[in-house]
Amino acid sequence: MAHRGFILFGLGGVIALVIAITVTGISNNLTYYLYPTEAVDQKADFPDGERFRLAGLVVEGSLTETGDALNFDVTDGGATVAVVLTNTPPPLFDENAPVLVEGAWDDGIFRADSAIIRHDENYSVPEDGNYEGADD
Amino acid sequence: MTRIRVLFGLAGLSMAVGLWMALTAPPDNLQGEYSRLINIHVPSLWLAFLAFGVTAFGSVMWLIRKRPRWDRLAASSVEVGVLFTGIGLITGMIWGQAVWGTPWDWGDPRLASTAVMFFVYLGYMALRAAIDDPISRARRSAILGVVAVVQVPLVYFSVNLFRTIHQTQSVRPDGSTMPNEMLVAMLVNVFAFTVLYVALMAARIDLAIAEEAAHGEEALAGGAVKPPKITGIRDV
Repeated sequence: MAHRGFILFGLGGVIALVIAITVTGISNNLTYYLYPTEAVDQKADFPDGERFRLAGLVVEGSLTETGDALNFDVTDGGATVAVVLTNTPPPLFDENAPVLVEGAWDDGIFRADSAIIRHDENYSVPEDGNYEGADD
Repeated sequence: MTRIRVLFGLAGLSMAVGLWMALTAPPDNLQGEYSRLINIHVPSLWLAFLAFGVTAFGSVMWLIRKRPRWDRLAASSVEVGVLFTGIGLITGMIWGQAVWGTPWDWGDPRLASTAVMFFVYLGYMALRAAIDDPISRARRSAILGVVAVVQVPLVYFSVNLFRTIHQTQSVRPDGSTMPNEMLVAMLVNVFAFTVLYVALMAARIDLAIAEEAAHGEEALAGGAVKPPKITGIRDV
């Protein structure tokens, strides 16, 4: 009986530990990504080369290509950050798309080597039966 | 047996209606046809949450009443729940690759906590298979069944508590963020998957009872509810 009780307690403890670690690990990383306003405010905490993630909307009209890299601005309605993406963007990448880029500051611009689309909870029906992404 | 056939018939019918609605709903303005995956992804994870909730309930009831039916209920529900957590994860990965541009991110709280939940309940099944004494098996898995259910609200609210890539809920108490045609299709599929859950549970519990009868299990706890062993050329 005592042996069984110990194993049960141990098992329950392990599960609780796994959950605690998950929650702690996640909450330590609460600034999982920064919005442009926060990134600019906290620029001192992230010296050039220190990696973090930046999320926001691609500013319409800001998307240009120079050689292998994409240049665009990311905004959250407050601040705007200039981004240079040195890797292939995801298929749905476009102006006005919600993006999450990973990289680091490089002398005032954000040099990113990965980007994903951060789709939100909103869905909408294409108005005329055609839809964005139809030609991708 | 007829009761189970009726249940599967109802499940098949409602899944067929759900499938038709999923295929005829409008595509999404940004995602296109990939939004249809929500009709498998969300219902599967709803089913998993329901299943693990039922497991916790059965676990508590066994600990109080010590009747084999509760143990069988808890264990059978884990099997179904694990299967549909897996389906939810896979459909999520397919969707993520298409829409996000990546199938997975361990740093995302929703994804990570769902994966942990999947492995914990796999551990539940391994625990049951590893213990021979029915009462000991029932007691230990009941404790695990109760403790592990805390993951359900953790996974569900992870998108609200933390900053995630995975979006927040599209269906909330104050309304939804989906056009009605998409919402109705998804809810019909949630209903269909619920009927499927009932049918699968009825079949699995029947099977567990038959297994116990064949093995002469003790009357206070259910059988192991193991996945079937494949006996072939070599008898392991």
